[in-house]
Amino acid sequence: MTAPENRVIPASNFTRFLEAIMAEQPVIGPRERPDQPGFYRFGRLARAEDFAPDYGTTTVPPKKTFAALREKLFSFTLDSPPELDLHFDSSPFVLLGIHPCDLSGIDALDHAYSQPPAEVRWTANRRRASLIGLDCRPDSYCFCTQVGTESNRNPCDLFLTPMEDGYLVEVHSDAGAALLEKADTRKAGEEDEAAAEQWRREKAAGIVPEFDAPVEKIADILEVGGLTPVWKETADRCYSCGSCNTTCPTCFCFDMVDDIEPDLSGGARYRTWDSCQLLDFALVASGHNFRGERWQRVRHRWQRKFLYLYRQFDRPYCTGCGRCSRACTADINLVDVANRLIAAAQKEA
Amino acid sequence: MIHFKKKPRVAFFDFACCEGCQLSVLEMEEKLLDLLSHVEVVEWREVMSEKSDEYDIAFCEGSITRKRDVERIQSIRERAETLVSLGACASISCHNALKNRWPMKEVVEMVYGDSGGHIDTIPARPVSDVVPVDYQIRGCPVSLPEFETVFKHILTGQSYDPPNQPVCVECKLNDTLCVYEKGMVCLGPVTRCGCNAVCTAYGDACQGCRGLIDEANTEAPARVLFREDLHPIMAEVARKNPLTRKEILAKFTVYNDTSEPDEEEESSDDNA
Ligand code: SF4
Ligand code: SF4
Ligand code: SF4
Ligand code: SF4
Ligand code: SF4
Repeated sequence: MTAPENRVIPASNFTRFLEAIMAEQPVIGPRERPDQPGFYRFGRLARAEDFAPDYGTTTVPPKKTFAALREKLFSFTLDSPPELDLHFDSSPFVLLGIHPCDLSGIDALDHAYSQPPAEVRWTANRRRASLIGLDCRPDSYCFCTQVGTESNRNPCDLFLTPMEDGYLVEVHSDAGAALLEKADTRKAGEEDEAAAEQWRREKAAGIVPEFDAPVEKIADILEVGGLTPVWKETADRCYSCGSCNTTCPTCFCFDMVDDIEPDLSGGARYRTWDSCQLLDFALVASGHNFRGERWQRVRHRWQRKFLYLYRQFDRPYCTGCGRCSRACTADINLVDVANRLIAAAQKEA
Repeated sequence: MIHFKKKPRVAFFDFACCEGCQLSVLEMEEKLLDLLSHVEVVEWREVMSEKSDEYDIAFCEGSITRKRDVERIQSIRERAETLVSLGACASISCHNALKNRWPMKEVVEMVYGDSGGHIDTIPARPVSDVVPVDYQIRGCPVSLPEFETVFKHILTGQSYDPPNQPVCVECKLNDTLCVYEKGMVCLGPVTRCGCNAVCTAYGDACQGCRGLIDEANTEAPARVLFREDLHPIMAEVARKNPLTRKEILAKFTVYNDTSEPDEEEESSDDNA
């Protein structure tokens, strides 16, 4: 499609726009947690007012709408041969209010899960959804500018930048254009564009954590190695709790478990998100654990994010969302550790 | 569909505990009836007056804390093909182990003054310290979904290892807000999950009732909270919880007192 012009949607029209979409399909977006004001999670909006546009980073990223945290893959009977029932939902929905970093997380998984053999569930669920991005204000853990995702628009159908009254709307796909036909909008003028540009400048200026070297250098540093003291020092207080993975928008590992019905007639296979930081993650049948030491698991996380997948997909598998640092009850901060690696490498050189 | 030639006979027994785990199991109501339809219950003091010395599966609740408990659990072990430790007291000793820090004589005196001469007490131990245990169901009280899972594993002849992942994993799978974000300290990062992170789902911190995960980093809380230059969330946690090392340890030992049972008492009980 040719790049269409940007539009402006005033706040009151936006509510009507949402209501019009919600009349046709479910909308999943950031909502304030009940009884926990100031904290948010992605969930189905019951009313247009449930949408919390100025939400801060959610605990779990919106990838959960495409790969559920816990998911029934299929059910089976205990007959021989067993009867299988695959659970697939094909109904459309809108995922609303995704920050640029989280769009980048979805993009990362689009790449990873499309490697043969492709992950059919992810692909099928992705096809169900229209994506509406939303620009944001950083908290003190955000570092999107350090990995270049602060203005990422890929993949989305529409993208909203908050303005004094309403949003500047960028149209990024034909599906987005079709969706926007439900809205009462006006053409964006120079002033509107300037206001959006101002928003982006302020956002970038608000980012606190900084890498002491460009992100591509981190791959080289990890490749050279000799960083064991940093890993061990970090591991000293790591719990191996996995929260840094289970909150990460680019992590894609999962575990599977079967469960039997109480009447013993059949059961189901479930999939849950998994984490390479957990002690038993790399435990194999012989009883050998190929990352049995805590520091080896710590190292593995940085190697995945900034070396292996960086080389494979030509982008860091980190969106700068800051969730891992935020979730870490050991206060292990991804940018701090990266900077200690950079410092250790500089000392070696 | 699985069919049994003969229904396995099930018995419930209790040792030192509050019997809360058995009561919890009863709360399963209809689901329990579903599960029990595959077995014959021959002894269960909480629900029936019949008793039996013949059973295939024994659910044992409570800690071993008297010499005669040792004999009783040994005789249960001899009779039962499958022995299950039910709940925190039976699986990790729970609060019962708190007394192990003192010599048993002092413990008796603390509670009964000088009229406790007849009290038969030995350091509290989990069932698995005395006899081999085939299945463990942890928790104070047990989590009912896990009880169901283990029950089905027994019926279908599968082994079951209590999950060796911290509660944080289930917290995230439930998309629960971490209580650290609200300035609280939580034992979830070192505690075995399997309870579906029920306490944190209600906004409370985990107290560690399911016991420590393998290789739990119990040094970490002090290493974290006493650091300089904490990031905002943890700085707020440290500010709101000015804990001493002793207080951090106290949090750990509510359910997980690892004090070694008194040596002398141990050996006298071995002779029993
Ligand atoms: S990391 Fe950047 S894009 Fe993501 S929420 Fe923070 S400010 Fe927004
Ligand atoms: S969240 Fe922190 S403590 Fe937990 S595994 Fe990750 S780095 Fe370690
Ligand atoms: S590694 Fe951390 S900051 Fe990077 S994408 Fe994952 S959770 Fe976000
Ligand atoms: S609330 Fe407790 S168990 Fe849950 S993630 Fe936080 S520290 Fe872990
Ligand atoms: S959250 Fe912690 S205290 Fe609560 S039931 Fe689970 S293990 Fe026990």
